[in-house]
Amino acid sequence: MKVTQKDLLNIPRKAILKGHFACAGCGSALAFRHAIGSIADNVILVVPASCASVYQGGGKGASFNVPTINTAFAASDAVASGIQRAMKMKGKEDIKVVIWGGDGSGADIGIATEIGACDRQENILHVMYSNNVYGNTGGQRSGDTMIGAKTATTPQGNTTPRKMVPFIMMANNARYVATATVAYMEDLVTKFQKAISLEGFKFMQIDSPCPPNWRSDSADSIKIARLAVQTGIWPLFEWNRDTGKAVISRPNQKYVDKENRLPLTDWSSLQGRTKSMTKEQLQNLESDTERQWSFLKKFL
Amino acid sequence: MVVQFEKKSMTGNDAAAYAALYAKPKVIAAYPITPQTTIIEKLSQYVDEGKLDAEFIIVESEHSALAACMGAAWSGVRTFTATSSQGLLYMAENVFWSGYGRLPIVMPVVNRCLAPGWSIYQDLQDSMAFRDAGWIQVYTKNNQEVFDSILQGFRIAEDKRIAMPYMPCLDGFVISHTTAQVNLPNAEDSFNFVGEYKDPVIEVDTENPWIFGGLVGPEKFNKDRKDLMEAMERAKKKIVDMNREFGEYFGRTYGNGLVEVYGDDVADLTIVSMGTIADETQDAVDLLKEEGLSVNELRIRTFRPFPEKDIVEFAKQNNKFLVIDRSVSFGHDGQLRIEIEAVLKRNNVDTSVEGRIMGLGGEDVPYTKIAATAKKVLKE
Repeated sequence: MKVTQKDLLNIPRKAILKGHFACAGCGSALAFRHAIGSIADNVILVVPASCASVYQGGGKGASFNVPTINTAFAASDAVASGIQRAMKMKGKEDIKVVIWGGDGSGADIGIATEIGACDRQENILHVMYSNNVYGNTGGQRSGDTMIGAKTATTPQGNTTPRKMVPFIMMANNARYVATATVAYMEDLVTKFQKAISLEGFKFMQIDSPCPPNWRSDSADSIKIARLAVQTGIWPLFEWNRDTGKAVISRPNQKYVDKENRLPLTDWSSLQGRTKSMTKEQLQNLESDTERQWSFLKKFL
Repeated sequence: MVVQFEKKSMTGNDAAAYAALYAKPKVIAAYPITPQTTIIEKLSQYVDEGKLDAEFIIVESEHSALAACMGAAWSGVRTFTATSSQGLLYMAENVFWSGYGRLPIVMPVVNRCLAPGWSIYQDLQDSMAFRDAGWIQVYTKNNQEVFDSILQGFRIAEDKRIAMPYMPCLDGFVISHTTAQVNLPNAEDSFNFVGEYKDPVIEVDTENPWIFGGLVGPEKFNKDRKDLMEAMERAKKKIVDMNREFGEYFGRTYGNGLVEVYGDDVADLTIVSMGTIADETQDAVDLLKEEGLSVNELRIRTFRPFPEKDIVEFAKQNNKFLVIDRSVSFGHDGQLRIEIEAVLKRNNVDTSVEGRIMGLGGEDVPYTKIAATAKKVLKE
């Protein structure tokens, strides 16, 4: 089912209430509002240590309006497995169990747990919102950080290629894998809905702008996320185990051809973490972007 | 009513697997580690054969084994796992998370020493490292007690006023892999004792969303910790009650559930220990008695919550303790000795305390060695 702009405006039940602690321009909270909001009546949320464990708020003022279990950093996929199996024993298999965590857990510390759940074909969805840093702890480099990006632990710019988590999940026989971005919300929610409708382990990675750590204007979040697609930095695709094929998503189709892409500097110049990249760093980022595309093209 | 038994020969791990089978957990998650493996192998077999209606999650690590059990516990179903040694250490953050999170999980720890060097034999260093994790810890002395403690454990852990994970500890190999007679009740009687897990302590619910483990301020945090301290006190009474009720039903008790005395109530020397060394100590007491010496035994069955009152009452009648530890708090002393001295001091009991650290890394501690040590201490 394709989600339209009208659907986005008709959230049946708010999953995140006012007073949450997310920063202005936070991509993760925006994606949460629409994605989790689309299934708020029928979801159990599992949140590893992440920005989401903070922006949900606390005590009586907590803003998450869905049952939420916070777990240790590397534990979320295993906790979700236990919940889903227990629901199965209780005859409540229709309840969707969704992990909502960042790239610190999803790409680094929790990846063994995540692959474990994928390997067992647990009927859960892992959503990794990527701000490409350990945002909550002050913006240190993660395995998902782009080449050249300055972080608290790579002050001269990150030197190593990105960990390509969606491909890792494809290699481990996930049921469904998709990338999405807050810049194209209809596409994001459509993929989210598709993911939860399928049986097995599903994985989604969402480009989630992070103004404090990207050192960008909070008003530019959507613009930067859109430019990430238009410059080719953020390939948008979905992959289904049934066909073994990847499909480039509509907003990204024009940019598969490198000739049509906007220059990387359109994207990098809007962020403090990337705007002063050297020529060499820009070249390295470009070649790492190409590496992702050439990998992806093997599945088209 | 005392139920009928079948006398069966089985290892301690088999006894643990039988107890879990009879308690009918709905979710089991486990990862193999010697010497725990045969518990989970048996359970996976029961599930595969359809003898046990449960989800068996074959996880990729101990960290995930306990995490999956936590997920199941949050969902309000009975859950079980088992581990040992390095495996227990690997799950460490979840051991504390489930303890402070008050999740009623039953997890036998088959005691094995910690590396380096590599050794798969028994001492208590692994579970003793988790005495502060908010778990009930029971140290068993033989195969029968393993079975009995696990059945009791589900009742204790799942009691709403207790709501705490339960760790029955059994010495690796000496119990886990040694065949001994177990009086095995049938499945129906066993389940009747444990009962269904009704009205769970905690249950995640889509109708009534709540957030678990989110941000808290110091006030709420302290309230939760204080409640855990109080629940530990309540657990003492629960363990005593459960021991008595178990006795009425199955015809067997272990002291008062917290401590167990062997030999005379009053003696010149009391040997204090836990686990299989405590079982071996009974023979040492008998041997010394034959030699005309006055020695008795105080076995600490429940280490958490620590049975302060019972130890103090016993010490008031007995002048000299020899505490045998099978683990060390490096930079201080054996943990059992440290804690016993502390409770005696705080209650102004002047029983003298000698301590010995024995049996590390699977070193054999026969009753003759215990008796020889006791004689030396008596002469001092």
